[in-house]
Amino acid sequence: MTTPGQDDRARQRGQESRLLRAWATPTGWRYWTAVNNTEVGLWYTAAAFLFMLFAGVLALLMRVQLAVPDNDFVSANTYNQLFTLHGSVMMFLFAVPVFEAFSILILPQMLGSRDLPFPRLSAFGFWCFIIGGAFVCGSIFFDIAPQGGWFMYPPLTTQYQDGLGADVWLLGLSFIEVASIAAAVELIIGVLKCRPPGMRINLIPLYAWYILVVGAMILFAFPPLIAGDLLFELERAFDWPFFDPSRGGDPLLWQHLFWIFGHPEVYIVFLPAVALVAMMVPTFAGRPMVGYTWIVLAAVGTGFLSFGLWVHHMYATGMPGISLAFFSGASEAVAIPTGVQIFCFLATALAGRMSRSLPMLYVSGALAIFVLGGLTGVMVALVPFDWQAHDTYFVVAHLHYVLIGGMGFPVAAGFYYFYPMATGKMLSERLGRIAFWLLFIGFNVAFLPMHLTGLRGMPRRVFSYAEGMGFDTLNLVSTVGAFVMAAGVTVFVWDVVRPKRRQPYAPRNPWNAGTLEWLAEMPAKPWGIRSIPIIRSRYPLWDQPDLVKDVDEGRFYLPDAEEGRREFLVTSTIDAVPIQCQRVPGPTTVTIFAAAFLGGVFIFATFGWYLATVVSGVLALAAILTWLWTGTGEIPEKPDKDVGLGLRLPLYAAGPNSVGWWAMFITMIGDMTAFASLVFGYFFYWTVRDDFPPGPDAGPGQFWPAWAAALVLAAWLLTVAARECNRRSMAGGYYAALGAAALLTVAGAAALIAGPRLTGLDPTSHVYPATVWVLVVWGVAHLAVGLVMQLYCVARRWAGRLTPVYDGDIRNTTLYWHFTAVTGAVTCAVIALFPLAGAP
Amino acid sequence: MVAALLATGCDGPQSALAPASLDAARVAELFWWMVAGSAAIWLAVITIGLYAARGRPRSERAGRRLILVAGALLPTLVLGALLIYGLRLMPSAHDQEADLRIEVVGEQWWWRVRYLRDDGGPVELANEVRLPRGARAEFILSSPDVIHAFWIPSLGGKRDMIPGRITRLVLRPDRVGEYRGACAEYCGGSHALMAFPVVVMEPAEFDAWLRAQAAPARAPGEEPARRGQALFLANGCGGCHSVRGTEADGVIGPDLTHVGSRLSLGAGVLPNEPAEFARWLAHTERIKPEVRMPAYSMLAREELDAIAAYLEGLQ
Amino acid sequence: MSAAAASPRATRRALWLLTYAPTVWALHFLASYVSAALYCAKWADATGVLGPVRLLIGLFTVLALLAIGVTAWRGYRQHRYGEDGAVPHDAATAADRHRFLGFATLLLCGLSAVATIYVAMAVIFIGSCR
Repeated sequence: MTTPGQDDRARQRGQESRLLRAWATPTGWRYWTAVNNTEVGLWYTAAAFLFMLFAGVLALLMRVQLAVPDNDFVSANTYNQLFTLHGSVMMFLFAVPVFEAFSILILPQMLGSRDLPFPRLSAFGFWCFIIGGAFVCGSIFFDIAPQGGWFMYPPLTTQYQDGLGADVWLLGLSFIEVASIAAAVELIIGVLKCRPPGMRINLIPLYAWYILVVGAMILFAFPPLIAGDLLFELERAFDWPFFDPSRGGDPLLWQHLFWIFGHPEVYIVFLPAVALVAMMVPTFAGRPMVGYTWIVLAAVGTGFLSFGLWVHHMYATGMPGISLAFFSGASEAVAIPTGVQIFCFLATALAGRMSRSLPMLYVSGALAIFVLGGLTGVMVALVPFDWQAHDTYFVVAHLHYVLIGGMGFPVAAGFYYFYPMATGKMLSERLGRIAFWLLFIGFNVAFLPMHLTGLRGMPRRVFSYAEGMGFDTLNLVSTVGAFVMAAGVTVFVWDVVRPKRRQPYAPRNPWNAGTLEWLAEMPAKPWGIRSIPIIRSRYPLWDQPDLVKDVDEGRFYLPDAEEGRREFLVTSTIDAVPIQCQRVPGPTTVTIFAAAFLGGVFIFATFGWYLATVVSGVLALAAILTWLWTGTGEIPEKPDKDVGLGLRLPLYAAGPNSVGWWAMFITMIGDMTAFASLVFGYFFYWTVRDDFPPGPDAGPGQFWPAWAAALVLAAWLLTVAARECNRRSMAGGYYAALGAAALLTVAGAAALIAGPRLTGLDPTSHVYPATVWVLVVWGVAHLAVGLVMQLYCVARRWAGRLTPVYDGDIRNTTLYWHFTAVTGAVTCAVIALFPLAGAP
Repeated sequence: MVAALLATGCDGPQSALAPASLDAARVAELFWWMVAGSAAIWLAVITIGLYAARGRPRSERAGRRLILVAGALLPTLVLGALLIYGLRLMPSAHDQEADLRIEVVGEQWWWRVRYLRDDGGPVELANEVRLPRGARAEFILSSPDVIHAFWIPSLGGKRDMIPGRITRLVLRPDRVGEYRGACAEYCGGSHALMAFPVVVMEPAEFDAWLRAQAAPARAPGEEPARRGQALFLANGCGGCHSVRGTEADGVIGPDLTHVGSRLSLGAGVLPNEPAEFARWLAHTERIKPEVRMPAYSMLAREELDAIAAYLEGLQ
Repeated sequence: MSAAAASPRATRRALWLLTYAPTVWALHFLASYVSAALYCAKWADATGVLGPVRLLIGLFTVLALLAIGVTAWRGYRQHRYGEDGAVPHDAATAADRHRFLGFATLLLCGLSAVATIYVAMAVIFIGSCR
């Protein structure tokens, strides 16, 4: 079936020119205002690789220092900054961002979509990333880089390091973590809601399954670190003793929060990379993946199990053996899904006819290295062995085998594979092979000896070692290997940056792959996809005859941009039934300003310039409100439009049908996880200390928290009432309800503060008042955001941008308030009631 | 390349692969079994990969069977068995009943060691641990500043030393000899320079050694050591260091009562020789970055030598 | 099979079935860890013997395996829905999508059961808090 009149070539050309105009990439300096996934994805990838090269150079400096015993190439102080930055930059500025970057580039293509659901959010995420990353990396040139290791254990980093390094780490990286959560929200919604019609959940590309799982993992893994960062910075800046044992604190709380983040983090790094392999293997085997459902098992299973491993980084802390044993069991269990997917790849290769190619060469290298790393992982999962291997070079070897085998080589393979899709040209076969062998040999020469070096007794994070311990030759060999690897990286980088102007474009679908992203023309057109097809197979380019021709001739959905707007389809979650035509904004400067001002908040706070911080914060709020006002909840000029093939779809959705509502919901899940981490901290102190709370009267009492809870709940109910008033076109009721709600919000915040303030709780005296205060501060901050939202909704209706039908803003606000009500109620219950129950 | 690596040997004073206790030996054995198993699994996977890539295409059913058996069933069994092996090696309550108790406090960047005795007060020394063969020694670990970790690889695994907590580690050496322990948790500037020699002796020798350590310091017999003692006290060294039997009773720094008899200086950093004492005194911060002890470079050469002679004589 | 179940509805709930078994594993893990940690921190005596906690965790394990078993049965039935449902479930039909979700659920139940048993093995081999 096709839209009537679509056969006309002139009509097709008209559509193409309108699509080109709507999706045009800005030129000149305006190029940097682009928000389309193609541009943002490219910048993100380039930035991530630059940070990787920077961290790699730091590693080479470390290896020179360790090449011979008792070396003095760098001082201890410099070395300690080098290893801290190497780890932090690689993990936070390369490993996670590179998956975000790749996803931004390729996921919409794989799903037949023209962009991600929130393009400005992706652009904002990129600008936050580059500003935060430059800040963190730049610190070493001023000798203020962090020096506590990438995990920054207190009390060393809270009480014994007075310089700015730790603050640079905390604030720089918190800023970037916000960007990661934004990316996670987008990717989850992209996979669930922005698919081509007919792409039911059993037909989605395997990459999409992995990204869905990883997005959900980010929501539960990053917030505990953000909560921990908050406690950490409060201790450093204001002396609230969360990790100071002399005042009731405990350094172990940081370790728990960090590793609840840190362990899933490594799977957040690994899974998207192995997802690339899952896309490449079927292509080069010439057949669909064998064991598609097993791979779904592997992705979902790894995602869940990875949250039960974190204490295996803490086996040496003296926790009860039984606790350690639980984590040992889970750590062994996670090897099962990890292995299953590898056997799926092998099974596919077995059942297919493998053709040789550069991407598959890198995948083979990845397999050889990763399997070895996985096997040493199984070793250190056992407690008695880990008690020897922990904090030695054995673990350094293990982590590099799994990271470089599980992420480095697959990403390199993905780079060679997807490069033509992004740029239209191929990378060099010859240079790629040379780079591969240098990388593979160099890597093994560098890291294989480290297993032995560690078990012979060399601890981690040492700037030098003594002669005659048995480390000398091993370290020298490792250093040589590192430089061979560096040579490989150099060849790779040269292949990427060398001018290719005279190289012809690659043929379309150069690898003869079966999935939708290879509809891309060489070079790609800015519209992403010419028309959005109906999908009937996991490998549509192989199974659906004439698909390419039909897409190119605009015979499917949205072949045109009649109103000159950027549009794609929103579909249902399970069966991808089209439910809405979504319009997204084009290039803008507001995201750059928002990122810059928000960056200012974090950067000025690092230096303790609090006035500048506040000013920057106000400007950031203004930028974000401008962005929301001009770019979201837009009332369309007509309720629905014809999207092709005789289908009419609404142009606006609110509530659970809208992607905006989903974004709020998912973000709040992340927010609640951070809140839960703070509450966990409260109960953790109660468990491990005898003096928490110090007595039944030591808390903020019951009176003020009860009032606070009542006021917050009332504000919530009034906000919900306002939504109902709006729906029934009761303008007076709407403004009254929201106005009253706003007043009650302020009163509730005041009551919440009154509790600890009027009972004289001093947060610097003991961790108990500090914990009560941090819960109160969290609550007040959320009430403040809720207040801004209430006032925003008042303004929107007043300006006619919110109507009884087009009510997305108030719906999202009430959704936020549902979560805030829970936060408020739980906070008050914990701080008011627990001292009665739990005091000694 | 693996053979070349192994040819460099597994020995060393700080090697977990040269065990001197039953516990460490059991872990080393576990390790070798795991290496053998891992090598076999790795080779099998690579072989399947090569066959899959080069061989003729097989059926999809064969592929599914590979996934089920090799990907799910076999790993479940192997990992389950390995987990049981690992859990059984964890110490039981009985394994942790002690014959000898030693408090060790990790400080930036040295070790305060205190032997607890049933008959008599504790015996304090620093930067060295000596143990009787065959006895279960319980180490009671703590730290007043940052997190350190106590690790003697030849005798067993490590344990963190965490401010605000007491952690415990039981080691039972079975072989006489000299070994080395090190700090295994990044603790700031000189973390790399925080180690200690470990000597395992026959029980009778150990008792004799401990009695000698418990005794107060021997007064220096002759010059230049006597002048050294006078300089030591005059320059305020006693404010931080203790030498039992003299006025020096500071507890901020290591106990020096028998420092001359130790196997190393500065927490495993310098050999125990008079010239090294002098070098340390003159340039503490150059030898151990960020160290708390000030350098005494303002003292004249012969004054430094005298103090060194005095300290050397504190056997 | 009843007529109502004959056409598998595409409710969002269908995707959640996948998560039941791993969620049971997670809850079992949390319950076991918290019980042991609280007991060892607050109520264990000097010898640190675990006693009652091991029985409690054993009970949790039995309950968890039962819940996973029930989910596995549902997943299996869903996987075998209709006449013609061989793997791979890659046809563009509601029936195959239904079968795919059932099979994925079944596989996740297998993994969750194994992981629950691994975690529970701790109480068999470790008898004290020390």
